[in-house]
Amino acid sequence: MKNRKFVIFAGLICLALMVALLPLGSACGPEEAKTLKIGITTPSSGKAAEKGAPMGNANRDAIEYVNAELGGAAGYPIELMWLDNGYDAAKVVTNVNRFMDEGCLMFATASSAMMSASMEIANRAEFPGLASFTAPSLYRPPKHIYGQMPDYGDDALAFASYFMDNIWQESRKPKFALHLLNNPTGYGARDAFKAKADELGIEIISVDEHAATTTSEMESLTRIKASNPDVLYISSTPAPTAVIIKNAYDLGLYPGVTIGLGHAGITKALVDIAGADIVEGVYGVFPTVNWGDDVPGMAKMTEYCRNLHPEDEGNMDYITSWAQSLIMVEILRVAVGNVGYDALAKGDVDAWRALETQGIQKLKDYDVGGLHGPVNYTAGDNRLSKSVRVFQIQNGVITPISGWVEAPVVKYEDFDWFGK
Amino acid sequence: MAELLQYLISGLAVGMIYALIALGFVVVWKSSSVANLALGQLVLFSAWFTYGMLVQANFPLWLAFPLVILFSLALGWVIERLALRPLIAQPILSLITITLGVAYFIEGVVTLIWPKSVAALPRFFPTQPIRIGPAVVSQEYVWVAGISLIVFVLLTLFFRYHRMGIAMRATADDQLAVQACGIPVTRIFSRSWMFACLVAAIGGILVSSIGGITYGLVETGLKAFSVVILGGLDSFIGAIIAGPIIGLCENLGGGYLTPIIGWAGVKDIIPFIIIIIVMIIKPYGLFGEVRIERI
Amino acid sequence: MTLPSGTRNYTYAQDMAILRTKTQWVLMAVFLVLLLTAPLYLGNYLLSVANLIGITLIAATGLNILTGYCGQLSVGHAGFIAVGAYTSAVLTNRLELPFLVGLICAGLMAGLVGLIFGIPSIRVKGFYLAITTIAAQFIIIWVINHWSSVTGGFVGIPVPEASIGGFTFRGEASQFYLIFGIVMLVIFFAKNLARTRVGRAFIAIRDNDLAAQVMGINIFYYKLLAFFIGCFLAGIAGSLMAHWIGFMNAEHFSLTESILYIGMIIIGGLGTTLGPIFGVVFIRLLQQVLTVMVVPSLESTFTALPSGFATGVAPMLFGLIIVLFLILEPRGLAHRWSLFKSAYRLWPFSY
Repeated sequence: MKNRKFVIFAGLICLALMVALLPLGSACGPEEAKTLKIGITTPSSGKAAEKGAPMGNANRDAIEYVNAELGGAAGYPIELMWLDNGYDAAKVVTNVNRFMDEGCLMFATASSAMMSASMEIANRAEFPGLASFTAPSLYRPPKHIYGQMPDYGDDALAFASYFMDNIWQESRKPKFALHLLNNPTGYGARDAFKAKADELGIEIISVDEHAATTTSEMESLTRIKASNPDVLYISSTPAPTAVIIKNAYDLGLYPGVTIGLGHAGITKALVDIAGADIVEGVYGVFPTVNWGDDVPGMAKMTEYCRNLHPEDEGNMDYITSWAQSLIMVEILRVAVGNVGYDALAKGDVDAWRALETQGIQKLKDYDVGGLHGPVNYTAGDNRLSKSVRVFQIQNGVITPISGWVEAPVVKYEDFDWFGK
Repeated sequence: MAELLQYLISGLAVGMIYALIALGFVVVWKSSSVANLALGQLVLFSAWFTYGMLVQANFPLWLAFPLVILFSLALGWVIERLALRPLIAQPILSLITITLGVAYFIEGVVTLIWPKSVAALPRFFPTQPIRIGPAVVSQEYVWVAGISLIVFVLLTLFFRYHRMGIAMRATADDQLAVQACGIPVTRIFSRSWMFACLVAAIGGILVSSIGGITYGLVETGLKAFSVVILGGLDSFIGAIIAGPIIGLCENLGGGYLTPIIGWAGVKDIIPFIIIIIVMIIKPYGLFGEVRIERI
Repeated sequence: MTLPSGTRNYTYAQDMAILRTKTQWVLMAVFLVLLLTAPLYLGNYLLSVANLIGITLIAATGLNILTGYCGQLSVGHAGFIAVGAYTSAVLTNRLELPFLVGLICAGLMAGLVGLIFGIPSIRVKGFYLAITTIAAQFIIIWVINHWSSVTGGFVGIPVPEASIGGFTFRGEASQFYLIFGIVMLVIFFAKNLARTRVGRAFIAIRDNDLAAQVMGINIFYYKLLAFFIGCFLAGIAGSLMAHWIGFMNAEHFSLTESILYIGMIIIGGLGTTLGPIFGVVFIRLLQQVLTVMVVPSLESTFTALPSGFATGVAPMLFGLIIVLFLILEPRGLAHRWSLFKSAYRLWPFSY
């Protein structure tokens, strides 16, 4: 008995060792065909899997589509190296190091927290990165990290300017109450309001905070109700947003105030959790189109999603990451067009520089199949797409009510409170 | 005044949710002195299973709920039999770590079966809030509070009067003596895990009916720790009283301190400050059994 | 051919030596040479994994002194690491102090915070203490997030590269030497600590604190000392991590991470110097193997399987391996290693 246990144990260790040594063996494989290599890391397991898993699926599906039907970028197939980072800062650092070692031309992350953990490694090596969910700290001041979409602060500003132009009728300053998730998703909105509230002509009367796990926000909403706001702006994810709106409904705060949501919150899951009757009329901004919208890129995305990951159909994050992959392909195409394949083939620091200056920074009016706002690079602003659309929940359906609204660039590094 | 009443009522309501999840923790601790770190994952798993039965398989309620109960009992039995049973008589730290392993495993299973990461259960309770004077409370919370109380009463009666319950308490006290009396200790452990999973399932269903099914359920499970510490790790009455105390402190503290301090989110830290204070003043919780040691 | 059956010591100096046989000296030398030349043949990726292992090892050694030797269960270790990381970040970024000052202050600050949260250990132990340290973790992270004028709050704070004198530790290879230099110091310190009066007092407290007190050991003093040392090392690890990652965000220090630290030292073997080394290397390599090889290859091989399969399998395997290890070797890898060693020494009479 004792012996058998030992044998099993030794076997386990041997197995672990063998698996650990495998990469050494596979490293000396045969010379590969002419491909363009990119790295993508998503938090497909762990704390943020609810967003990371569909996003990773979309990234892979899109590359498969590009390789199968478009023949890659500028005729070169794309080799995608995808890794799961488990929403773990230490893991994402090693992931990005692996991308650099393997000769990837650029890398992408899904969540802003994972990008913030890996961006200095990349910045120090001049390895260009693209984050789909972003925060100002990633690219203010601009270095080698780019943002695919407007950040949560941009959401807030775009919503506020839409509100001032189209909804607000009175002459006094509207009173905004903020309810923020206790992470950069929430506080990005606060920082943007802090920087631009005067310019927009709005007044921030209170800032409240909630946890992602909240089960009741009656307390904070009671205080908010007492201060009699005109707008309740929530920058958060669907589940806590649903709890807040439900509580606001119970308290009689909503309907009454205007509720605005950042793009992390306004998804179908919100409608499901809170109930369509309760969230009726809630506004929100979103940087991509909706499922089923009539844009050129929709048909292929829907087809691939149905074939490969049917459970993700209807998930908004899927669109984001599908578009992210397409943008990376476009960057590669532009770069190959400008400097040729050979300058990029090595995947070393020269190739990265070439890709950044001749690929990313030459992006011009790329429309991503109409899936999200136009992609442009403007000097000094590392956000590639700067526009959102305003949506409203009507009869349980998240319906667009505006065209693309561009969010202004905020130079956060000029403010003392932003730090350096 | 209206605000105060509102804070009190919402504090009590949300506190009962914490209490319910804490009960699941106490069951295991009371019979085997094992800290169950997989509690949050059990809550998550059973919430998803309920989703699978009610939404994906589209079973009616009368069929789905018994299935969920059967499932959670089976889950408890399996966990005890496969993970904890082999470690009987090993250091308690190894037992705690193994629940950590179980937690990761369950998390993986959940991702595997339900890659869709956020979902909603159908609405069980009417949306019309109940008015108490100037304050309101949603029916969901009232139902949760009622169900927690029922679970608490059943558990207390069981542990006080049922043969098995008494045997469980005796096992926690002195395993050797219990074995000498001819009580099968392994069966006791197995039952206690089954109960714990059952309570976790009830908690999972109710919490996710309020806030949807997300990974956040795992951390809601963690919140139960502050409740059990305040109430005492081995006390049902402790859990059922400490839950509302924590809920009240959160609501009152959040309501009145936030405007003074100016740091939003004071509410989230209050339970933990309470823990530190309780640990210094009353180390075994309000209702926990004080252990006197002799060499 | 003569084979020694058993190792015998003839002087006290021999008995006390850390390396007692020729084989040990040779193995140690080979190991050190391999370690020090590692940057020559390892790529950036493997070096970054090694750096991560080194940083984790420092923190885990601290936790092992606190939990393994002194028996004070702490589940807030990531919180104390965060204190170190932010102290170093704030000192070197905002005040522009040199890295070494940041490093030492990080250790001291984490140690002090550890002392404060260690006070309840006078009255409670076991799981109650564990919960207190969980509370410590949440309080620390909350303060970091909200004290934004100093810590940068939710925005985070950039951290400059480590430098000593005029030399900047740029890139994984040079940081490798920095980190492993400190790792060796720390392991040497930990190994010797266990053999001093303090270490024996810790063990006495772990085994029975009441008995220890009766024997005249000041348990209050020694428990707090254990908290200070354990958290000091956590702070050092935090500082190194801050300079390694280059940008600090409190989200990096989750409770899961704290729990994982406990898992590492238990899998390795509590109360031994080797234990944390085994545990840390095992867990960190396992994570990497799963992320870098198992998950992507599953994902590309089994396209017909449901999409959660590959990502779900990683935590499942991780949990399963922890469970299997504990069932097969509840006293940790270090225990198995010492069994192996004694079997080897007593050969051919190893029964």
